[in-house]
Amino acid sequence: MQRETGAACSRAKQYLRGVKAGLPVILGFLPVGVAYAIMARQAGFSGGETVLMSLAVFAGASQMMAAGMYAQGAGLAAIILATFILNLRHLIMSACVVRRIREGGVGMKLLAAFGVTDETFAIFTTQREEACSLYNFLGLMSVAYAAWVAGSALGVAASGFLPPALSASLGIAMYAMFISILLPGLKGNLRLGLLVLFTACFNTALSQWMPSSWALIASTLFCALLGVFFVDPNKKEEGER
Amino acid sequence: MSRALLLIFGMAAVTYLPRALPAVLLNRLRFQPQVEKFFQLIPYTAMAALIFPGVLAVDTGRVEIGVVGGVAAGILAWRRVPVLVCVVAAIAVDFLLYQL
Repeated sequence: MQRETGAACSRAKQYLRGVKAGLPVILGFLPVGVAYAIMARQAGFSGGETVLMSLAVFAGASQMMAAGMYAQGAGLAAIILATFILNLRHLIMSACVVRRIREGGVGMKLLAAFGVTDETFAIFTTQREEACSLYNFLGLMSVAYAAWVAGSALGVAASGFLPPALSASLGIAMYAMFISILLPGLKGNLRLGLLVLFTACFNTALSQWMPSSWALIASTLFCALLGVFFVDPNKKEEGER
Repeated sequence: MSRALLLIFGMAAVTYLPRALPAVLLNRLRFQPQVEKFFQLIPYTAMAALIFPGVLAVDTGRVEIGVVGGVAAGILAWRRVPVLVCVVAAIAVDFLLYQL
């Protein structure tokens, strides 16, 4: 009995830790959610449809792309195909997240899989391996989902009120978040830093030759494969040679 | 069903499919160390590819908006400033840049 309470307590604790780790996502998602909602309203979606898309799809970049294509009069099949291609990268990210979640059956993992985004993936997979658990991820994704839906609702309410300089400045939020998650992990690991630099250049070059969503998938996989041969991802500051 | 609703449910389906597949297929699989290493490196390469070249096009008319905001976040992050503060600082720097 006591053991059960202990387990429940630690589940709640893991969930709360996930919530805490997800707080930066609020600042990333609220502004982008607002930007998406303004685009969707202009494209001709009703307020309800705009929020429903965030509830059902939960993928920022593709929702913005869909709003843009819809406004230009693209066919439904084309938008859905473009969404599929753009979100194929989540296959890799979801595999990384699921691999770190050891407990729980398929059902719980299917629930967690709904919450895999670029941001939840980035935060979850750069945590210490011991911190990763099912409830930790559920906490993280709850914050991200709530922020995304709230941002969309806020955008529906506020479309037309925001000063343009402020809504333009919000565009950096997503990138600032990725940069500040990525950089500290590179300290003291020169080879990992070089791999990251190479990936950035490789993806920039590749983006000239193919749609950027394909370039992203290709360079993520190719450069990680390359890194297997000469980078040790576990080498940290204290482990300097 | 309206056109918009059809689109929303279609998008929801094709977005959830790649997310859900690993949850079904990878359940309780164990991997070779080399494959483990590959999975450990993916977060780094994926984030590098998510940042570049996208950050240069935050404002398609003004490259410096993405560069200055990104560098500001980078400097703070290198000094282990919390992510939340880095994001606010980058937004503030870009806001100031737009006032110039």
